[in-house]
Amino acid sequence: MAPGDSSMAKKISGPRILTANLLGDGLVVFLGTDGSWAPGLESARLAHSNDDVAQLEAVGGEAARANHIVDPYLIEVEDTGSSLLPIEMRERMRARGPSVNLEFNSRSNGHALVADQAVAG
Amino acid sequence: MYRYDEFDATFVSERVVQFRDQVERRVKGELSEEQFRPLRLMNGLYLQLHAYMLRVAVPYGTLNSRQMHKLAFIADKFDRGYGHFTTRQNIQYNWPKLPDVPAILDNLAEVEMHAIQTSGNCIRNVTADQWSGVAADEVEDPRPYAELMRQWSSLHPEFSFLPRKFKIAVTGDEADRAVIAYHDIGLRLKKNSAGDIGFEIFVGGGMGRTPMIAARVREWLPKSELLGYLEAVMRVYNLNGRRDNKYKARIKILVHELGAEEFTRQVEEEYARLDVPQGLPSDQELERIAAYFAPPAYEDLAENDADHTQHLVDNKEFAEWVERNVAPHKVTGYAIVNISLKPVGGVPGDATSGQMRAIADLAQKMSLDEIRVTHEQNLVLPNVRKHDLFAVWQELKEHKLADANLGLATDIISCPGLDYCGLATARSIPISQDISNRLGDIKRQRDIGDLKIKISGCINACGHHHAGHIGILGLEKRGVEYYQITLGGSGDENAAVGQIIGPGFSSETVTDAVETIVDTYVDLRQNGETFLEAYRRVGAEPFKEAVYATH
Ligand code: SF4
Repeated sequence: MAPGDSSMAKKISGPRILTANLLGDGLVVFLGTDGSWAPGLESARLAHSNDDVAQLEAVGGEAARANHIVDPYLIEVEDTGSSLLPIEMRERMRARGPSVNLEFNSRSNGHALVADQAVAG
Repeated sequence: MYRYDEFDATFVSERVVQFRDQVERRVKGELSEEQFRPLRLMNGLYLQLHAYMLRVAVPYGTLNSRQMHKLAFIADKFDRGYGHFTTRQNIQYNWPKLPDVPAILDNLAEVEMHAIQTSGNCIRNVTADQWSGVAADEVEDPRPYAELMRQWSSLHPEFSFLPRKFKIAVTGDEADRAVIAYHDIGLRLKKNSAGDIGFEIFVGGGMGRTPMIAARVREWLPKSELLGYLEAVMRVYNLNGRRDNKYKARIKILVHELGAEEFTRQVEEEYARLDVPQGLPSDQELERIAAYFAPPAYEDLAENDADHTQHLVDNKEFAEWVERNVAPHKVTGYAIVNISLKPVGGVPGDATSGQMRAIADLAQKMSLDEIRVTHEQNLVLPNVRKHDLFAVWQELKEHKLADANLGLATDIISCPGLDYCGLATARSIPISQDISNRLGDIKRQRDIGDLKIKISGCINACGHHHAGHIGILGLEKRGVEYYQITLGGSGDENAAVGQIIGPGFSSETVTDAVETIVDTYVDLRQNGETFLEAYRRVGAEPFKEAVYATH
């Protein structure tokens, strides 16, 4: 069971969004308002009510069954008006990526030469 | 040089074929995540916070240059150009893509490596002193016995369903570099008063949420009785170990609840009852296994090398590196070179593919083709001629691998923490970087002297914080990271569990607290006392006073 699964059953207290990892490269994605799964949470689709939550859960379940994503679950966010901020530290880290190894992690896989230059230079 | 035997080679290549098929079926949707998860975990593939993570085994921490080149190649071709060496003497890749993993495993198998993880409640990979076979004071290379135990336990039906996972570590030296006191079973090869080599046996150590130091159950056991005696230990555990509560199922809890004396009595009683000869390996079998660890072809060298001695005089920086990072070798004229993967402000245990290649080349040219991985997240060139030390150092320097900080304040162990690990409660790497930057001045580090700082990002303690002279545990409260400090832990031959000094610190103040602790030590030390010696003399009080008065 995914770490956030249990929160699905709870009564909703703050807005939620749906997150998962892509099956192929494992990268973190969020369900957007347009129904696509994207890395940033800026355009994530918000759930404010139990009905919204049920809908998101259904979409997540469907995408997991279609083997597009893995382990979908809802996370609580704070809607500041200008941005969405996950409440839990873990989810904030998932949303923004590692805070270290930036010279490597800003690139995609298979670009090692650049990495070596970054360190050697 | 360790190589796996024919049985392992066949097993590994069959496993790769099998896993390739499983990955294909998963990608096509023929396997669900629930069905696939246990299969990928068995093959060392985890889904972490941001991506998949592949954990590659380095048995007994021993690698040759071909293998290291392959690790660099994998980092380049399939990952982001770097890898992370861990406290379990493994290497982890943080960004592999699922469809690439079978090809990665193929590449590993080409150099007799794999990512197979022993999982479940069985005897896990046995770990060993990284200087096994080369340490000057070693009584005997412990790795053949570790390998014997691995082969014995993986075929032994009684040990497939233990109450919990089970970890064994071995050393052949009085100085403990394998943290044996923190393992379920720790073994040390030593001589008895008659000069015969046998095992000193410790049982019931562990980290995690209930840290414990192992109890010594046998001061000396003839080598030939090892398997029989271990069988007795495992039987007592199997019989009495708690299976009702995951957190109480490790053997350390049993030893603690029974008391060391009663536990030992039960083991000895069981052992007396055993049909001992059954557990004995034949000399032939032992020799067969020992052959896998045959020493390389050393040259006949003089004890001292004139050029080396001259370099020590001429170059202070080199001399300081030798003093900290080079250790005496068993064979005359050779030395053990320890490569620090802890540049000031860097990520502990990380190496770029370029660094891996440089180390592989050095090993091939100047370390009789051997490299070791240490549980302290450093690397070792175990067989360097003293004559070559200067050239090795120059080459290491070129690749930013010549930090002369082994065992000093910036030689910090840090687990991946919340930057990568799905189980973490807080970040650990940025804290280690912050402390490293703060204490990084090499003069200051040398003045502070031997100091082990160890950081874990959750209670699982992969960063060995319980064994840190200064231990740091990252936790979370209401969405905010905070850090608990322990003092006085040690993972060596005088092992101890660090004690919590008081309320935790925020990520902004924990480095200040560590610095205050270090400064307090510098102020109160007497006659060249190390941090740990001073702590043992004065206790936690002066440190607490200093830390909580200023924060
Ligand atoms: S100690 Fe915790 S955070 Fe660190 S690697 Fe282990 S499980 Fe992950």
